[in-house]
This record gives sequence, C-alpha cells and structure tokens, in this order.
Amino acid sequence: MERLIEAAKFHSDAFEIYELDESRNTIEFEDGKLKDIQSTIHAGVALRIIKDRRAGFAYTKNLSNHEALVLNAVDTLKGGVEAPYDFPPAKSVPTLNTYDVAIEQMTNSTIVDECRRINALMKSKVSGQINIDAGTSISGIKIRNSSGADLSTKTSYYAITISILYPESATGIERSLEFKKFEEVGDSFLNSLIDLYNRSEREITAGGRMKILFMPEAMYTLIWRLQSAVSGKSLYHGQSPLAGKLNTDIFSKQLSIIDNPLDDSHPGARAFDDEGVPCKELVIVDKGTLTNYYYDLFYAAKMKAKPNGRGFKTSRWNDDRISVRPMPTLTSLFIEPGTTGFEQLIGSMQRGIIVCGALGAHSGNIPNGDFSIGLSPGLYVEGGQIVGRIKDAMIAGNIYSIMNRVLDIEDCLHPAYTGYYPAVLFDDINVATKS
Amino acid sequence: MFDKLKSILEKVDAEYADIRHETKMETRIAFNGRELNEIGGNTTDGYVLRVLDKGGYSSIAFTDLDNQEKAVRTAIENAHLMSRFTEHPVAFEKVDIITEEYAPGLTEDPRQISIDEKLALTKKYNDLVLSNDKIATTNINYLELVREKHFANTEGSAIREELVTNRISGLITSRDGNLIQNIRVAAGGSSGFSVLRNREAVFENKSRIATELLRAQPVQGGCYNVVLNQHLGGVFTHEAFGHFSEADIIENNLTMRDKMKLGTRMGCEKVNITDDPTMTGQLGHYRYDDEGVMAKRTPLLKRGVLVGRLHSRRTASAFGEPVNGHTVAEDYRYAPIIRMGTIFIEPGDDTFEGLIDKLGNGYYLLDAKGGETSGENFTFGAQYGFVVKNGKIGEMVRDINISGNLYSTLANIIAISNDLKLSETGGCGKGQANIRSCYGTPHILINELIIGGS
Repeated sequence: MERLIEAAKFHSDAFEIYELDESRNTIEFEDGKLKDIQSTIHAGVALRIIKDRRAGFAYTKNLSNHEALVLNAVDTLKGGVEAPYDFPPAKSVPTLNTYDVAIEQMTNSTIVDECRRINALMKSKVSGQINIDAGTSISGIKIRNSSGADLSTKTSYYAITISILYPESATGIERSLEFKKFEEVGDSFLNSLIDLYNRSEREITAGGRMKILFMPEAMYTLIWRLQSAVSGKSLYHGQSPLAGKLNTDIFSKQLSIIDNPLDDSHPGARAFDDEGVPCKELVIVDKGTLTNYYYDLFYAAKMKAKPNGRGFKTSRWNDDRISVRPMPTLTSLFIEPGTTGFEQLIGSMQRGIIVCGALGAHSGNIPNGDFSIGLSPGLYVEGGQIVGRIKDAMIAGNIYSIMNRVLDIEDCLHPAYTGYYPAVLFDDINVATKS
Repeated sequence: MFDKLKSILEKVDAEYADIRHETKMETRIAFNGRELNEIGGNTTDGYVLRVLDKGGYSSIAFTDLDNQEKAVRTAIENAHLMSRFTEHPVAFEKVDIITEEYAPGLTEDPRQISIDEKLALTKKYNDLVLSNDKIATTNINYLELVREKHFANTEGSAIREELVTNRISGLITSRDGNLIQNIRVAAGGSSGFSVLRNREAVFENKSRIATELLRAQPVQGGCYNVVLNQHLGGVFTHEAFGHFSEADIIENNLTMRDKMKLGTRMGCEKVNITDDPTMTGQLGHYRYDDEGVMAKRTPLLKRGVLVGRLHSRRTASAFGEPVNGHTVAEDYRYAPIIRMGTIFIEPGDDTFEGLIDKLGNGYYLLDAKGGETSGENFTFGAQYGFVVKNGKIGEMVRDINISGNLYSTLANIIAISNDLKLSETGGCGKGQANIRSCYGTPHILINELIIGGS
C-alpha cells in the first residue's frame, strides 16, 4: 500500500485510497428445503485523485500493479471532471460497536439448523409455503487520504428473512431481522407472521378511497421520494420540490425522520462516510418541519454547504461498491415511533388496507413525489379486523399530500429496506381495482 | 487462462465442478446537466467456482487467486452441508462437451473508438436535449461493458466468449414551477458502436415529450382497456410472463408448478411467446450461457398454450425438461441464475391503427419506466400515454403505473399487430443486474388492466 501512496503522491495534488474487504455467505430455503448456499470473498481498492482541481478515479479488484492503477486515474483527469472539494483532514471519530467477534465462530451449519428449526416450528401453524433467506457478512473498510485521514471500520452482519406464501402464488407475508451476530429468531416474531398470514387467507375485491396502513416493509416507497428531494444532488440539479423550503412545514407534525449512522444498536453503524467525513445524527424532518438537506463532498462544495458525512459508495442496482464514486446517501434512516400498538392501529381502521409489500416503487415520478404501486400483498381491514387480502389492486398518491394525512404511527421500529420504520397509518388514499 | 482454470478444478474433489473467470472492462461517461461528472475506464476480474457433490451444490465467487484453496474448501464444505439436508439431491442435466472461442461480430468495435469521440457523441446528444429551455436537467450516460469470459468444467468443456455492450442512455427532467416530470431515453445494443451514431431523433423526441408531460393530466386510476406500444409490451412480457417461465422461480413452489404445467392454456389463440438468445445483432445475443450450455431458441407459449420453460442444468434435470442455455450471471461476482435472453411476443395480423380502432375507449400507453414482479403479480410504469376516445388518439396523460395478475392479463390480450420491435437497451434486476436483457412485442391490445391514479 505504501507504494500506491507514493505513486499517488507523485502524480496528483491530493489523493484518497479506499479499500474494501468483504466475505459473505447466503443460504436459501424454499418450502422447507435447502435450495442454495453461496459464498463470496471479494476485495478491492479505489483511488480518487485531484490534480489542478480536476478529479480522477480508478479501481481494481487485484492490486498487483500500483503504478497502473494510478496511471488509470491520471488518464481520467483528461476528461476535465471538476473537483471543487478537498479530501477531509484527520479527525477523531467515535468508536462504534459494529463488529461482534462471535460471527467468526458461526458456520453455515448454524444457519441451516436455525432455518430448519423455524420451518419445523411454523409448518404446523400455517398452510402456506415457508421460504427463508439467511446470511452473514463481514466487511472491512479503510480510507486514507493526502490530508492525513486514516480511518478504518469493520462490520459484522447477520440477517434472516422469513416469508409465508399464499397458495398458487409467490406473494406472501414477509419480514426480516438484522443482528451483528447470530441470534435465534424469537417465538413472538414468528407468531406475528403466522397470525398476519392466517388472518389474510381469503381473497377479497374492494376499492375506493380509504385508510392505508403502510407496513415498515413498504415505507421505502415514500421515503425514496423524500430522499430524492433532500439530496444535495437533486438540489443542485434543480430536481427538488423542497429547494428553499428549510424550516417550513412539509409533512404532518406527527412525522420526524432522522438519519443516524452513529446508532450502533443496529448492524452497519458508521462513524465516518466513504469519503472520511465524520458522521453525525441528521434530523431531516422534525415534527413535520424540513430541517436539513444532505451532502457528499462534491455537492456540498457546489451548494456552498458544509459536508455532513453522507457521501457513500452505494447504488440502488447493486453495483460493485468499489466501482462507484461516493454520492449523497442516507444509510441509517428511521422514523420516530409513535405510541400506538400494531393491533390498536388495525383496530382504529373502520375500512382500509395494510400495504405489506409494494410493487413498482421505483417506477413512478420520484422527483415529483408521486407514487403508484401494486399491493403485494395488501390486507383488507373491515370494522377494525383483518378479513382477507385484496386482489389486483393499486394505490397512488403524492408524498407531499399523503404524508400530511398521517393518522397514527406504530410504537416500535422494524428493519426494512433503506432504514428502520414503524407502520404508519394514512387517511384517504385511492385504491384502484377491477371492481 | 484455461490452464489456470483447469489447475483450480484439479483441486476440487467432487463429482462435478466448473469455474468461470471474467475480465470486465467498463467505460463510463456521465453528464448531469451540462457538467461532466464521470469519465474513464477500468478493468477488473474474478472467478466463480461451482461444485456439485453427493447431491449437494454450492458456489463461491472470489477475486484473489491467493484465496483459491480457501474457495475450493468452502465450496466443497457447503455442497456437503447441502447434501446432508436436501430432500431432493441436485443433479445436472447432461449436456454436450464444448471447446470453442466465440466473439459476436461488431459493426465498429467500441474498444477501437477513442474516449474523445465517445465523449463528443455523448455531449452532442446531451446538448441537444438541453437546448430545449423547459428541460431542467439531464443525466445522460455512455456505458461500454466488455465481458471476456473463460469457462471450464470437469467434463472437459472449455469456452471463451466475449460480450460487448454499449449504450447512451439516461433521464431527462423537465420542470415548470413545482411540477417536475422525467422521461427515459436510450440508444444502444450489442452489435457495435455504430448503433449509437446518428441517433439525434431519439434524443430530440424524448426531450419534446418531457416538455409535453408538463401540460399532460395525471391519469385517472381505474380499470381500463389499453394498447401498449412495443417497448411497454416488451416489459409486460418480460415481467408478467417471462419471469414465470424461469424454472428457478417456481422450482420449489408446488402449487405454482402445478399451475404452470406444460400444456396449460394461459392466453388466447393469438398469443405466441418465444425467448431466443441466438439472434445475432440483438441486445440479448450470446452463444453459450455461464454453465457452458449452447443457447437455444425456446418457444414458451404457442397459440396461448404453455409449451416451454427456461432452464439451468439443475432445473432441467429436476423438471425432466430439455436444457436450453438460459443460465447467465451479471459478472464475476455472481454464480449464474436462470434469465431471459431475448423474449418477445410474435407478430400478429392486425395493424396498429386496427388496434386503436378495436380499443375504442381506453388508453394508448408508451415506453416502460421500470417494472417489478412478485410471483404472479406485476407492476410496471409507462413513461407517457394518450387518452383514446371512439378509436381516436387524444390528449397526453402522465403518472401511469399498471398492475395486474399474470394469468388474468395474459388471457386478456385480445389483439396483436404486425410491427414487432425489440429493445436496444435493457435491465433486469432479478438478484443481479442484466443489462443485456432484451424484450419486445408488436403493439398489443389488453382488456381490463388496472392503472393506479388519484
């Protein structure tokens, strides 16, 4: 690595070296049968350089030729991509509890045993097919730059997703759990899944305007649109309807939405982003009021704002992290929980739908805040009781309208795509069906 | 390279093993508005080893040859772990042993075109779009992806294949006050760089539509009869039907397998659906899949009746059906999974005008904006559409997402025109991305589709 640093120093005004080591195991059970075991051992190095305020970038999976990597980055300088930022200097960051050494003692056999235990336990209680995906990962990140930053983090991760499918269908009730080490799934979690499934076995056709309870697993539909609107990138490119609206009320006063990478009670906490900028808690929406935008180094410089540790190498379509540049990204979102239990939320719905999964959340007009999703599945509630699942239905709306019609919020958080969310009950959303 | 692969295979004490090495060369140029955000190329590589032993199967991807011993050990351990617990031992369908090197013909190899010329062409199309003053910004990208694959297995196959894909594509955003609209634009393919030249009309047309969307009304939610254009019909075919033709989706779902038995009627007499990766010049073309199996044209639905399925060696054996070379990986990070190559509805005998006339009242919907399936349910977006009244195309509508159920929707395709068109760019996110996923249809008339809306 020292040779790479020397070469980078020689060819640039400033440099940043990002190293990633990752190993993963994934195990897939379908209908109680072990279907697949896959493993990955990957490493990589990405190099960013700045020369005459121009940015260069290169990456490799095998650092066999240091000079070639640097020259590849130098070659990209010719394009003239602007670098209006400096790499951040060394700063002390809090030590987070992100790695549990117990993960190293864990074998795939442990996961297989756990999946078989869960399957045996659930099988006698539901008629639907049970599918389970589980896996572990260990990843290490090191960032060094010419301003003196020398940061590293190591993360352990164990996740399990359990689905119960409806007959003649691949749709069902699905929930996930995430830990830093292996933990047995508790009975109450499994029973809540079984209960939701058993109450929704009957197919029902219903439509019109009604209350909609977004389960945590479907909340990303709405959160994606907010993430788009408060990103420094959207602001800079004129794609945000929230430009210039800091400290104005955008949502219901019941909604507070926060990004906190420092929360190490969950796996994946981060003390610094993928550019070496220290992370801190960032309140995006405080009781309905827009309070912050988020930036990486590039867009912070462009918007003349202070970078707030949100430059991460992530991609919605699963690109290799090494191959992508940091972009403004919220990694650790949560919605402040309310005070109402899940069953009480259902009880408060005279007529409505529980959206357990969303289909097509990515295909609406995201910058404008519009969404239009298929329900996969949507459970139908009548008189405060789940009476079945709705057949062939869509809901549509705009987040700046419906997130002002929050009726109630669940009292606890669940891991879901893009963050940790409670179930949130909204009023008066149109449900389109064949009826 | 084959010697290196064979030396790794020799370390695997198992009934079967295969290994794929891939070198992946990417060139990317990205504009956000008028600013160049990214330019350059990179080359990376890695290995994927698959092991089958005692009825157990597993795979491992690794990038550093120093990890080969660990990779071999892990793959065997995982295969044996699986063999202890699997109720149905995994077997691979027998296939031909192949030794061949294949590189599809290109009209202008993009690797021979300078980065300056690629930049100039991308900038030209980006500037064309931005010359429209209602366009707030763009995200226009050049992507060139070259996969050089070496495959070897313990049966004796040794295959080298090269896949070259290039495209200029992205998103155009228009804005009027607080109203923001966007539309996708794309030109590209796997037949060479020349497919990207002289495509000004594509970018000008989408720029115009992006501004017209600012005046369009949101679609009214409900259940409608619709005509889909070729691109949207292609995504419908891919999402709603194609994924269910992938045997791994239904392999362990007994009720679904029963419903998808070959010989089952699923659509009307007019509907014929085929997947064919062998069509040279099309985006989805390849000769051998990532299990070393030769790709075959595979009829899936004939006169509305299910006649075929897409298979890996594993699922072909499990289903007792012919293997057809449809097992493909995104790159060296992944073991291959069953995927479509080029899926399409075969042309019918109607005309587009005839379809609009038959539609009478409903919507004419154009160009896909992403799609997703969950089992038999699908949702996909249309970039724009038009109201059709009394057989006449009227005003533009926006914010269109369509949802449905595979079985009922396929049965509701009632007319097909004669103007089949295949996609130039693709993208399927079934666990891994597949940018060569190709699809298309003629215009199709479907009754009773649900459209989400206010």
